[in-house]
Amino acid sequence: MNNIKVALAGQPNCGKSTIFNLVSGIEQHIANYPGVTVDKKIGYFKYENNKIQMVDLPGTYSFSSYSLEERVAKNFILDESPDVIVNVIDASNIKRNLYLTFQLLEIGIPVVVVLNMMDVAKRRDIEIDSKKISQMLNCPVVEASGAKGLGGKDIMKNIVATAKNKDNYQEFKINYDELEPHINNIEEKISNINLVQNSRWLAIKTLEGDSTVIERIKKYKSDIEDFTKKEENSFHERLDKDPVSFLASYRYDSADIIYHKAVKEKNKDNQTLTQKVDKIILNRFLAIPILLFFMFMVYQISIVWGYKITDYTWPILAAFKNLVIDILPEANFTDVPIITDFGIWMVNSANALMNYLPIFFILFALIAIMEDVGYMPRMAFILDRVFKKFGLHGQSTLPLVLGGAMVGGCAVPGVMSTKGIADDRARMATIFSVPYMNCLAKVPFYTLILGAFFKPDMAIMMFFISTVTLFIAMIVAKLITSTILKTRETAPFLMELPPYHTPTFKGVIIRASQRVWVYIKKVVTIVLAVAIILFAMLQFPGLSDESKVKFDNKSNQVLNSFDTKVKSSVYYEEFNTKEKVSALLNYYDTYRTKRMTATSQDAAKSVDEDFLLKNKTFYKYIKPKRDKEARKINKELRKLSSKRKAILRQIKNEKVENSILGMTGRAIEPLTQFAGFDWKINVAFLSSFAARESAVATLGSLYENNKADNMRAEEAMALNSGYTPLHATAIIIFMLLTPPCIATMIVVKMQTNSYKWMLFAIFFPIGLGVVLSSLVFTLGNIFSWSGFEAMTYFYISIVLLTVIIALFPQKSINWDGGIK
Amino acid sequence: MNLEINSLAILKKGQKAKIKKLHAKGKLLHKLLDMGFVSNAQIEVIREAPLFDPMQLKLHNYNLTIRRSEANLVEIEEL
Repeated sequence: MNNIKVALAGQPNCGKSTIFNLVSGIEQHIANYPGVTVDKKIGYFKYENNKIQMVDLPGTYSFSSYSLEERVAKNFILDESPDVIVNVIDASNIKRNLYLTFQLLEIGIPVVVVLNMMDVAKRRDIEIDSKKISQMLNCPVVEASGAKGLGGKDIMKNIVATAKNKDNYQEFKINYDELEPHINNIEEKISNINLVQNSRWLAIKTLEGDSTVIERIKKYKSDIEDFTKKEENSFHERLDKDPVSFLASYRYDSADIIYHKAVKEKNKDNQTLTQKVDKIILNRFLAIPILLFFMFMVYQISIVWGYKITDYTWPILAAFKNLVIDILPEANFTDVPIITDFGIWMVNSANALMNYLPIFFILFALIAIMEDVGYMPRMAFILDRVFKKFGLHGQSTLPLVLGGAMVGGCAVPGVMSTKGIADDRARMATIFSVPYMNCLAKVPFYTLILGAFFKPDMAIMMFFISTVTLFIAMIVAKLITSTILKTRETAPFLMELPPYHTPTFKGVIIRASQRVWVYIKKVVTIVLAVAIILFAMLQFPGLSDESKVKFDNKSNQVLNSFDTKVKSSVYYEEFNTKEKVSALLNYYDTYRTKRMTATSQDAAKSVDEDFLLKNKTFYKYIKPKRDKEARKINKELRKLSSKRKAILRQIKNEKVENSILGMTGRAIEPLTQFAGFDWKINVAFLSSFAARESAVATLGSLYENNKADNMRAEEAMALNSGYTPLHATAIIIFMLLTPPCIATMIVVKMQTNSYKWMLFAIFFPIGLGVVLSSLVFTLGNIFSWSGFEAMTYFYISIVLLTVIIALFPQKSINWDGGIK
Repeated sequence: MNLEINSLAILKKGQKAKIKKLHAKGKLLHKLLDMGFVSNAQIEVIREAPLFDPMQLKLHNYNLTIRRSEANLVEIEEL
């Protein structure tokens, strides 16, 4: 077996990924390059008697060191010295693609050129003489079409043949005429150093001012920079040209020569389909409505319809939960084993996240389609001007929409989709802005609060809530780009608008699955770890001995009253001990939950059968039918069940109150009192960090009144909490600003590659939330605003601030140059 | 400002020009060169974005978009 290491290189939009998918099959690995967030895709496969490892380098227009992608690609070539470089070229746009080919050829590693998208070229009546190109470039040229699945075998054959013949490889040289003597001088200067790379290539890179290469040479020749400078100056004096521009022009000229000799375009003047479509999609008046329509559709299909799919997937998760509950030890009346509590807690936390998988899968598939089609850069083109004002980028549109630019997105895919933003500063700012959007899981919380305190103004309040976040995100973006992100690398806005392409089914599915898998692997594991910590913080130190006795007495009372009521029954001996009653009660409760989750008649029937099989004696109390005695027991059981639930809830509340988390909630009360938050709200916010949904659950359970079992959480909260609508406004403002769940923070860590930034993404919004809600609450108290007034003033100030920032001229960009 | 120097930023939809010189440095210069802004290359302005900035160009038979602030650094000769 021979091992062959292959690097796959090509310009963006040349169809590199489809070629990679074509030859590498489904088994590919996706990872980050160490220290950077650029994807590293590796495919392993066998061909004839060779083991091939193919690394998909990031798409680059060139091989200098001026972008993250270029640095990553070049470092791979420098450090890992692959056996063969496969250069994918868009056959319908050969001239520009050859610019990179020349740079790859100069490296000195054998190159196989793949002319991809031959089908597109044929459709456009472009005739390509690939033999001639092969001759001129002195390397194998393979015709292929990744989208149509053509050419895979040919590529493999040529890779193997080229790798075998590696030692006889003939170097390719462009003759740079006037620059040649300078290249030779530098080559001579570095000829005796110990670098494996081709010295001519190193010399050319040095003249190009390539920092990565210069750093490496410096280790051996510390004066290389001065030496090159002299060469540059003498060249400049002679011809009034810079080597960098000269090299680029020369490569373009050489590409032009090849293009003219080997390519014939018959229908040059005909409008391509892309041009026709662009006339509509990028039309001054239609572009924005069309974009809004697409965004609405993405939102509708993934979030709204995807949420409907969870109706079908949720029973699977519920069944899993039931399975776990079945395995766990049962409760002995109000004495619930800690392992059971823990098991249910963990399954609930996992299910809350797994529930989003269908949504994510659809969302990622739609993003992949939009990327493949070529709409992404057009979206940036249309809206760049708006976002630029706030330090963001046209490419920030999609992440913000996915995060929930209106109401109900999810920050996880939003943050994940920031990957493609070329401008690093804008990318970082987008990552930190997306979590301000309103996620799906925050909606129940708003509904609860609005239902409790803002019944008459619900619609307008919801409008405030759903739109104010976008303004806040803009202000925050502006704030951090002009402060802590000020020195971050920015990229000039120079983007290709690639021709439209039909996406391949395989490519879309592979990419969507890969992203979902990343989510499952990274997020779920860490979220579960956090869930364990939260569980511990809610459990310990637990009830005091005093309370234990108190609750024991309560349960005994309840049990005794049940006992006296049923003593006269003929079946009495079937439940004459506490254990027997517990068993019966558990049987009764499980039956009710299972019946509730059964969606069809058949399912309900099978639940009945199961329970009949499980315990025939108990079954008659569940379905007493005509048995009068059993009916009486059934009635008492129902009462007993609700009384047990009430006691369990009291125990839980007291446990939470005394727990570490409860104490933390109390400990920060002095700080949060300015916003009007008591410890209960604090605990709800703290516990909702694992998943936003649990904010409602926690608040609901904290405010539930024991007597009022049929009272809804909204009413209970309005009545029992002692809050005014002004409190509610402060709570809403805090919720608007607080970071979403831990899952989002994990993806922030993934995308920024730093725990420091993750912590910033957690604590900055919390700080901002505390400050703003305190401000609104305090001012509201001073001027005795109603909750609605306070929210209105808050909204107006935020909108005004956004407009003022937008009117301010931006600071100039941080790169040099300009016509003065 | 020297009035005789024209920059790419002043071109309107449908206008064509030839690149004379790049006034950018460092990163932007490299990026411009890599995208094909070399001397004597022909440029055509296809359209402006709906909000008038950035602009879409045709260069070496492909489409690209550039903000006016960057286009300002490309010296051209109108055709």
